Amino acid sequence: MKFEEYKKPSWAVMNMRAVFGRAYPRIIGVNRELSWVFFETVLPLLGVAAYVFVYKALEAPPEYIGYVIIGGAMTAYWMNVLWSMAAQMYWEKEMGNLELYLIAPISRMSVLGGMALGGMFSSSVRALSTIVVGMVIFGISLSLPDPLMFFGIFIFTMIALYGMGMMFASLYMLWGREAWHMSSLFTEPIYLVSGFYFPVKGFTAMLGNPGTWIAVGASIIPITLGLDGMRQCLYPGTMDGFIPVWQELIILVGLSVLFMILAKYSLRYMENLGKREGRLTMRWQ
Amino acid sequence: MAMNLGFRRKAAKPNANVQTFKWSAWLGWQMESNWADPFLFAVYSIVKPIAASLILVVMYQIIALLGGGTDVGLFYYMFVSNAFFMYVGQVLFGVAQIVHDDREHYQTIRYIYISPSNYFAYMLGRSVSKLIITTFAVAITMAFGVFMLDVPLSIIGANWLLFFAVMVIGIFCIMAFGLALAGLSFLTAKHQGGMNEGIAGLFYLFCGVVFPVSVLPSWGVSFAKILPITYWLELIRRSLNLGVGMDSALAGTSTSACIIILCLSTVVFTILALAIFKAGDTVARKKGLIDTTTAY
Amino acid sequence: MTRYAVEVKNLNRTFVTKAVRGKSKKETVKALNDVNLTINEGELFGLLGPNGAGKTTLIKILCTLLLPTSGEARVLGHDVQKETNAIRQKINMVSGGETSGYGLLTVRENIWLFSQLYGIPSKEANRRIDMLMKELGLEHKKNSKVRTLSTGLRQKANMVRGFMTDPALIFLDEPTLGLDVNASRLIRDFIKNWMKEKPGRTVLLTTHYMMEADELCDRVAIINDGKVLACDTPENLKRLIHQEAVLKLEIRQIDSISAFENLPGVRNFTHVQDMAAGITKLKFILDDESAVADIVAAVPKSGSRILTVQKTEPTLEDVFVTLVGRSLTNHEI
Repeated sequence: MKFEEYKKPSWAVMNMRAVFGRAYPRIIGVNRELSWVFFETVLPLLGVAAYVFVYKALEAPPEYIGYVIIGGAMTAYWMNVLWSMAAQMYWEKEMGNLELYLIAPISRMSVLGGMALGGMFSSSVRALSTIVVGMVIFGISLSLPDPLMFFGIFIFTMIALYGMGMMFASLYMLWGREAWHMSSLFTEPIYLVSGFYFPVKGFTAMLGNPGTWIAVGASIIPITLGLDGMRQCLYPGTMDGFIPVWQELIILVGLSVLFMILAKYSLRYMENLGKREGRLTMRWQ
Repeated sequence: MAMNLGFRRKAAKPNANVQTFKWSAWLGWQMESNWADPFLFAVYSIVKPIAASLILVVMYQIIALLGGGTDVGLFYYMFVSNAFFMYVGQVLFGVAQIVHDDREHYQTIRYIYISPSNYFAYMLGRSVSKLIITTFAVAITMAFGVFMLDVPLSIIGANWLLFFAVMVIGIFCIMAFGLALAGLSFLTAKHQGGMNEGIAGLFYLFCGVVFPVSVLPSWGVSFAKILPITYWLELIRRSLNLGVGMDSALAGTSTSACIIILCLSTVVFTILALAIFKAGDTVARKKGLIDTTTAY
Repeated sequence: MTRYAVEVKNLNRTFVTKAVRGKSKKETVKALNDVNLTINEGELFGLLGPNGAGKTTLIKILCTLLLPTSGEARVLGHDVQKETNAIRQKINMVSGGETSGYGLLTVRENIWLFSQLYGIPSKEANRRIDMLMKELGLEHKKNSKVRTLSTGLRQKANMVRGFMTDPALIFLDEPTLGLDVNASRLIRDFIKNWMKEKPGRTVLLTTHYMMEADELCDRVAIINDGKVLACDTPENLKRLIHQEAVLKLEIRQIDSISAFENLPGVRNFTHVQDMAAGITKLKFILDDESAVADIVAAVPKSGSRILTVQKTEPTLEDVFVTLVGRSLTNHEI
């Protein structure tokens, strides 16, 4: 059994390999277990369509249907962050993989990054299919006069969102079912305050100043401003934007940096806490 | 020489299914509740359903402020249907989830499956905790609507006999759907999020939950009319006298007709669900999938 | 000077379990109690003890999965609390009954995935995987999905995963747990060959199979209730308990036993004549193993023939029972 020596990779190369290694099961999984195509793309469209029909029943202006479609598309990424990245650490612990990741000489963010990258394919398919259905079946028309701004908003929303997801993942490393239930608890409230199905400016219209503060508070969740910015890009001239798009972009860049830093320290802190309390590899908590 | 281990010979129990139901109900309750202290659990049980309802409230209010078509009866329609739809989302998914939970998470399915306990009784018992928690959530949501949003639920004006009868039939029907999903779960990978959203989405779209069925295209209306949940929700609304008459597609169907259709379609879907469950179980056993793991 | 692969000084680890309302009170469990231990580089070191003795807790601390409550531990010269990344570059771990991996992937893909966590180039990783699979008789399953493997094959795959990174120190936590005789033997042989190939490699093996520790380990530590009760080579541990090695022979009946008297290395011997069977039964209490050769040589000199031979000697189980006060098979949890 003669192993050949190889040149020790740099920290960056090692972690990059870890990212792709962890992404691999996700990428292969979507090819081998094709039932996801139906469960992850066709069926979730039905929920989005329901909200479209709510607006139709309420005789809402046509752009509101577009808002629902965009919100429905972004749900794919939110669910990926919440359940396929953050909660995945819980599943990795239950499967016995977490300890193997933890004793490997790589950053925990690489493992999480791999999960995110692997999940991004199915999320993007889901998001795109939502948009396509929206355009074909519900006849929404989207325009993109400033694609650079749109993609800037989208990319920094993703970075900030996945950074936030990594931060949540640190909780899952330590907690058990509490973290799972917390994710479940936050699903609907986040849909509400982040304006997945309506513009967050609506809070101001409904409640005045307190409504504005609700929207401000919700802006800490990257998807709030991300959705608002993308809607403004796709419906230029709309009066339903919360703040100007360029301001939203700056805030999202800031949130990206903030959440990545918080994720790093949170993962380190939670890991150490777990090692102190002996809960890092404890199953069925 | 036979070893005497001191076990007493017990007579066979005629109510074994009741025993299975009892211990599986206890197990289901433990799984749902023992992850948190009671206060946190109560917060969780209250905040979640109210937030879900508030999404619709905000949507309605925004359009009202914009001057859209906002008959307040429509709001009551949306609110009450959305509240009771939680049974569909939670109980149906709860039943379907049992297989994935036991198979992938706790990996106990093989031991339960090969035991003499009746698996149906086991699933029914495990579902009971979901039913209790959902009932609590629905009650909280309705109370929120009545006290905070002026939903005019009248104790005297409601037909409680009809309400409770329809609830029993509806829950039975929902659990039957859950059983069908559970049968499919034997054969599918662990796509919990997708299954939850997807199947609930089907009913959410076609059963007149947050908008009248008449808003759908004609083929959608036809499809809605074969789903028992459509009639269940319509009967709930009629029994509570909230949002009645908002749906022109069902306004012409009398209450008795709705009850008959609900009962008949429940029977048909129950038979179908049992067949699907049996088929799923058999195929899974043939392919050795009962205790497989599919997480990635 | 021999470098220590593992150095543990006054190590303690306490767990506090949460109370369950109405069912149980808060409990404090001392899993490791003032443990002192050193393992030399190149050693195959065994840690023997019943369930709950603290073996896995110690391994988790050394693997950097758990922090000690107090005391110090160093792995390959690095502190487990402060230099975790340096340690992780050089270690790996395989547990008995391990169910890690992803059911949808093939065996080879699963192991490749874990190789990437160590930055091994794919080409070299695949080469190592193929080599180790061949060694462990797993080649025919390399393209099978992990979820289709039997327990024994799964454990072999785990072994490939663990050894593929060529760790300077590998932790084997009950690696043959639940495996059949052939699979266990194959794994033990594999471990022995692994050690022989490269002198610097160190293995820390935990087990409660005495025979396994006896066969494989250069030194064994016996641990119980978080304390190390003894630590030495298997032979020295057996000598600790002053139990004699006994050689029993049945030979064709002889009249004179003078050939067996005063043999060097024999402390005492007795004999019994079985007239009916035409057998002389001899029992020798040995001071020295080398006496066996002289005893056997004396049989033809006495004009007889050996019919049966039986040698009994103290086992590690005897050592354990003496030190712990009970056997591994009937301890109370």
